[in-house]
Amino acid sequence: MTDTDAAPADEGAEEFGEPKRAGKREVRLVYWAFTVFYTALSVGICLLGRATPPPRPDVTRAQAAAWLYQHHLGIQIGFVFLLVIAGGAAISNGIIGYFMKRMSSGKMLAYAYIATMGVGAVPGFQVLLVCWLTATFRPDRSPDILYLLYDLGMLSYNGSLGCFTAAYTVLAIAVFYDRNRIFPKWFGYVTVWQIVTEILASQMWVHHAGAFAWNGMITLYIAIAIFGLWVACLLVLLRKAAGRESAHTPALYEAEGAR
Amino acid sequence: MTAPGTTARPRPPARERRLPGDADMWVMILGDLFIFGCYFVTYMVFRAMSADEFTASQRHLDIDVGVVNTVVLLTSSLFAALAVLAVREGASRQAQRLLLATGACGVLFTLIKAYEWHAEISHGHTIHDEFYSFYFVLTGVHLVHLALGLLVLGVAGRELRNPRRRRPAIVEQCVLFWHMVDLLWVVIFALLYLMR
Repeated sequence: MTDTDAAPADEGAEEFGEPKRAGKREVRLVYWAFTVFYTALSVGICLLGRATPPPRPDVTRAQAAAWLYQHHLGIQIGFVFLLVIAGGAAISNGIIGYFMKRMSSGKMLAYAYIATMGVGAVPGFQVLLVCWLTATFRPDRSPDILYLLYDLGMLSYNGSLGCFTAAYTVLAIAVFYDRNRIFPKWFGYVTVWQIVTEILASQMWVHHAGAFAWNGMITLYIAIAIFGLWVACLLVLLRKAAGRESAHTPALYEAEGAR
Repeated sequence: MTAPGTTARPRPPARERRLPGDADMWVMILGDLFIFGCYFVTYMVFRAMSADEFTASQRHLDIDVGVVNTVVLLTSSLFAALAVLAVREGASRQAQRLLLATGACGVLFTLIKAYEWHAEISHGHTIHDEFYSFYFVLTGVHLVHLALGLLVLGVAGRELRNPRRRRPAIVEQCVLFWHMVDLLWVVIFALLYLMR
């Protein structure tokens, strides 16, 4: 990927006969990888894996085992596919981190965002895949174990709030302190809403039914609506930011050597 | 358009007609109000489904504490509004003192809320009761906003301390956020303490 230090040297690159728009092409490629990954994630998690909208949290062992059996084919196809493309999460974090590095708020926040989202991907994504794949590929295991995998997958997927709270906080701070206007300030506020929904998600560990269960109106549906809005805004803003990546456009940040 | 023969009222200058704060902050405020509105509607739906249980639990809330907190927060909003007027008139020191009073009211609100939470939990009213799960979540999320509001007031205070800055627009934005926190509390108070 084009690095912060490399981009200002675009004019120099032209002199040496390198393609003028190489950096832009790379960024656009990663942007589309980001878009395709999130689309694949939605299909794998929602349509095939049936984790969103989620199954009921207030079921018995037998009902949980029956649900896993009923949807085993979709879970196996969707989640094996997601396991294969799981690295897309890193690329997605990478392009956001790349633009965060261009903010005047400093690189440290970009590294913190990448690290927290990277750690968060384990409980918030991988554990669900591993739990439900184990449950569907080993249906002969005891119903107690299947029940545990059913619960563990969902609670880890929806209730793993700490890393994401930290990531959104870091992103919001970066946007507010950025003077280069890489992302508009209102996006920082939209990110603050994400922090609030992540904090509310803590309730689902306690409740088995109602508005605060893992399938609750507040902990899930309103949170998903906000997350969907956040991703939609992010896609548009990243596209705009990627569109500005050209040797012909002014640098989006202060060059290292000029500081 | 003014009809011929009528006395047209002169339009105020553009500076007076402008919206306080910036568009970014209004995105935050309107969006936040919408999200809280969703939470409030959810609460009312669940309340309607178990009206007797919710009413029984509501009776354990100390309405006096709620009233005191409401008065404290409304007073803080008054101080905040006066701070904006002061900064517009160039009275930065007075604005700083008023913002400090606003923040002090916010801290007082938090202390009263902490006392109330402690009292409720001591009496065994925890999130295992459906009404109290709403109570703790709504007041908790509001407290998070209030903490952000205190942070935002700090930003406004820092702006006023620097003689080269002192932009009224920044103070307006910060106070707008504070008013939103106040408005949210008034609705939460009505829903949790008064609605039967």
